[in-house]
Amino acid sequence: MKRFAWPSLVISSLLAAALAAAETRPQYGGTLHVAMRAAPATLDPSDSTQTDSFTRRNLTLLIFETLLTTDSSGRMHPALALSWQAALGNQRWQFRLRRDVKFHDGTALTAEIAAASLRAANPSWKVFAEGDSVVIECETNDPEVPGELALPRNSIVKRNPDGKPSGTGPFHIVDWQPAKKLTLAAEENYWGGRPFLDAIEIEVGKNYHDQSIALELGRADLVEVAPEQVHRASIDGRHVSSSEPMELVALLFARDATTPEEKLLREALALSVERASMRSVLLQGAGQPAPSILPTWMSGYGFVFPAETDLPRARHLRDQVRGVTTWTIAYDSSDPIARLLAERVALNARDAGLSLQPAATPAADVRVVRIPLAAADPWIALANVGPVIGLPAPKINGGSAEDLYSAEQSLLATRRLIPLFHLPATYAAAGTLRNWKPGPDGSWSLADAWLENEKQ
Amino acid sequence: MTFRHKLLAVFSLTVFLSVAAVAWLVSAMTRRAFDKADNDRTAALVTQFQREFERQGAEVVRRVETVTASDAVTRMATMLNRTSTDSSGYFELAKSLADSYQLDFLEFVDARGNIISSAQWPAKFGYPETAFESLSSSDKQPAFLKQEEVQDSTALGLFAVRASHVGDRPIYVMGGRRLDKNFLSGLVTPSDSRALLYQNRGDRFSSDLLVEPASGNTPLSDPRSVDKFAPIIQAVRQSNQEMAGVIHWSADQADDELFHAVPLRGNGSEHPLLGILLVGNSRRSYVELKRHIRDSALLVGSGGIVLAILLSSWAAARVTRRVEQLALAAQEVTAGNWNARVDASGDDEVAQLAGSFNRMTAELLNQKERLVQTERVAAWRELARRLAHELKNPLFPLQLTVENLLRARQSDSNQFDEVFRESARTLLAEISNLKGIIGRFSEFSRMPQPQLQDVQINDILRAVAQLFRAQLQAPGRPPIACHLDLDDELRTIAADPELVHRALSNLVLNAMDAMPNGGALTLRSDREDGKIIIEVADTGSGLTPEECERIFTPYYTTKQHGTGLGLAIVQSVVSDHGGRISVQSQPGRGTTFVIELPRNPDTLRIVPAASEVSQSNG
Repeated sequence: MKRFAWPSLVISSLLAAALAAAETRPQYGGTLHVAMRAAPATLDPSDSTQTDSFTRRNLTLLIFETLLTTDSSGRMHPALALSWQAALGNQRWQFRLRRDVKFHDGTALTAEIAAASLRAANPSWKVFAEGDSVVIECETNDPEVPGELALPRNSIVKRNPDGKPSGTGPFHIVDWQPAKKLTLAAEENYWGGRPFLDAIEIEVGKNYHDQSIALELGRADLVEVAPEQVHRASIDGRHVSSSEPMELVALLFARDATTPEEKLLREALALSVERASMRSVLLQGAGQPAPSILPTWMSGYGFVFPAETDLPRARHLRDQVRGVTTWTIAYDSSDPIARLLAERVALNARDAGLSLQPAATPAADVRVVRIPLAAADPWIALANVGPVIGLPAPKINGGSAEDLYSAEQSLLATRRLIPLFHLPATYAAAGTLRNWKPGPDGSWSLADAWLENEKQ
Repeated sequence: MTFRHKLLAVFSLTVFLSVAAVAWLVSAMTRRAFDKADNDRTAALVTQFQREFERQGAEVVRRVETVTASDAVTRMATMLNRTSTDSSGYFELAKSLADSYQLDFLEFVDARGNIISSAQWPAKFGYPETAFESLSSSDKQPAFLKQEEVQDSTALGLFAVRASHVGDRPIYVMGGRRLDKNFLSGLVTPSDSRALLYQNRGDRFSSDLLVEPASGNTPLSDPRSVDKFAPIIQAVRQSNQEMAGVIHWSADQADDELFHAVPLRGNGSEHPLLGILLVGNSRRSYVELKRHIRDSALLVGSGGIVLAILLSSWAAARVTRRVEQLALAAQEVTAGNWNARVDASGDDEVAQLAGSFNRMTAELLNQKERLVQTERVAAWRELARRLAHELKNPLFPLQLTVENLLRARQSDSNQFDEVFRESARTLLAEISNLKGIIGRFSEFSRMPQPQLQDVQINDILRAVAQLFRAQLQAPGRPPIACHLDLDDELRTIAADPELVHRALSNLVLNAMDAMPNGGALTLRSDREDGKIIIEVADTGSGLTPEECERIFTPYYTTKQHGTGLGLAIVQSVVSDHGGRISVQSQPGRGTTFVIELPRNPDTLRIVPAASEVSQSNG
């Protein structure tokens, strides 16, 4: 009995190990089906009229590439630029381009094309080609130029005469139906090596519910998960992955506070908001309460800002202002959590004696907004928040945490923005999607992912 | 208006009033019957609403009980009875169960009264349920009305509360249905009725709070139309009792609706007025029936009036024909035809009246004939007396003269001749006097017919004044002042100037005779009602009433040497011109003769030949 049992056990173990090894081995081929909520009308990364979102950034980086990339710790890595150097006290930056890189239409990447792309994305920059390098000259000391170049919106785009953009990314466009569907195919001559996936079909404009059903029915391999559904999805056994809390949910006023009374009222509103109960109930524990623009994991000082509700003080501030001002608080009607947040904020505000009327209207006094932070680099992230909310970029006088704090504090002091939460970008993937995990900044990195056999 | 027309009008008015009274009576009875039917229908509708209300309430209770007993709620209650479990995981449970069980409102409330999950206001989790203290979760508690605060407004709903007693800490389930358009649409109402709901909030009427059925009658899209509910809503809010009122949607009364406003009260000790049910009934059928009655009444009334006029004309003609004959006969009698007679056949009052009239006219005719005979005899006697008197005066000198001649015959011839000559002169003078007397009588009997021509009376009056001016101022007698008071705008008339001149001259002579001691003579002309008025006034001795009565009688005189024919001639002239003369006098205050002459010949021709003389004393 023993003699028979032991060899069988050994053979079984060896077979199991062999099968496991076969499952983890990358496989080429297959079409990845992705569903997403955002519905961009254009794929041009420099089109500032489109709403910024993690999904759009990821679409961009499937097709286009930047000169540099950043890792989770914020360090810069070569991409289309092999090397770079600063001169004149960070006022002149020179980026030497990678050779033998070609656009999807077969055109070689040149410094002139790269410079033209960057100029189109940053009209205020002085960018020009110098040999095989792209040179950027700044009027002042700007150490954040490499970080800026790592942003998706600064991807290198070659604009063809027919208006269609062409990139150097791992996938090229096969079919693009704006606001409906995007079909990508693997770029065989990608300088970084051909992706494992043969193609990616991305359906845009799908709400969370439809995405969840598509994943459940096997019609999608990768979908977004609403923050409040993350807990439920995990309980249901989905393969859920999240980025770091990179998306700021906040109340954004349509205009500056012009009077001291209005500033008092806005401060009262900020003090009346119950972030904790909203997070535990509405967000079902997802995200982090955000009294600050930058999340603590990014800035390190987020705890300094008070996140607790202070209703007595809110009432006190409210009582200092005579008369009743009714604000309309708007939300994105396609975002279910935004409406609940707006209604809850209105309820909290009522407790403080403030009057907010929720409405799904474009014209409102205050709006619940989602602001994807531009990068994991706090300086770059904060610098990009200002223009997003209609304010100039905050002036950061140095590279220390205190300088960053001062800049954020000055931005908050405008009372234009009341931070509520920092939310991660969360995705649910089919079990057949391998070697995939979103980056800390929510990036997809699908060039290295592959599908198991049954999906091919 | 003639008697016949009056009779006709009375008959017609009687018929019209009768028809109007009947129409009003029918209309009033119809209105009363319609109001009764309307009240019955409204009461039925209200009763139906209450039954529907109870049925819906029972349905709400059933659904809430089902939710309470559901696995999900039981599981939630079980989990929440564990101290370590928070309620955030059940945030969306109310919404999903409300959808499943078709409830408009659903809330889960913990034992402390805090909302765990709310379907109608999801963001309200953690907040206390305001009505928690007043709610009873008894299993026998029926559904009740409640105003529920939702995100952007306050809704009226039919609620039920039940509790899930899984552990020590019960979970309360409060569910309900909204009283909204769909609820009202579920009420089965007659085609011309409808039910609306007013949600009683705030101090003033607001058109936004009026809920009408999702389908059915004309929607109240115009806020001004909705505002017409304000008075009845305010009345119910003030009195807290059922009220009724008519709402006029347009100028057409057929569009009117009679609304009964029924207060809907909530639970609690004060039973607050939460809503007002408005049950409306169209007045179209009533108004159209009323119009039909009115049109019929008008038609019948008009026909009746026409028929009444025809019948009344016939009846009035029958009744008034003999009366009219009487009136005509009376007019003939008035005009001098004393022989007028009417048909006196029959035995009714009119026949008796006609007989009396005939007898009266016959008696009058007899009396007139007797009077004429008497006057004729009197006139002949007066004529004889005057003739005797007139003739006696010259006869006496004639007799004396003849006797003197006879006596002178016995004297010598010279003396006789002288007496003869003297007597002959006397005889001739007296005979001439007799001839004059006879001539005047002859002249009176032969008064000529007037030769009419355009005459200015003022000219004749001036000529008469001029003619007698010398005599009035003649030396040796007291002077008489002559005054002319003439209307300068007097128009010409058709008259015989010589006869008028003679008549006026006679009046002036009479006046002079009446003023032996002097005085004033006034000749006056004037106009009145198409006539010329001529006055000859003196300030003489005047006349007695008896003299005034007889002064125009021929041969009657108040003077010693008058013939009594002067004023008779004046009267004859005036009468021949179609006029009349009268006298106004008082003894000692003078006399005024007033002549009225018609202005034109046309009037002259139709005036009766007989003159009318009116006499009056000042």
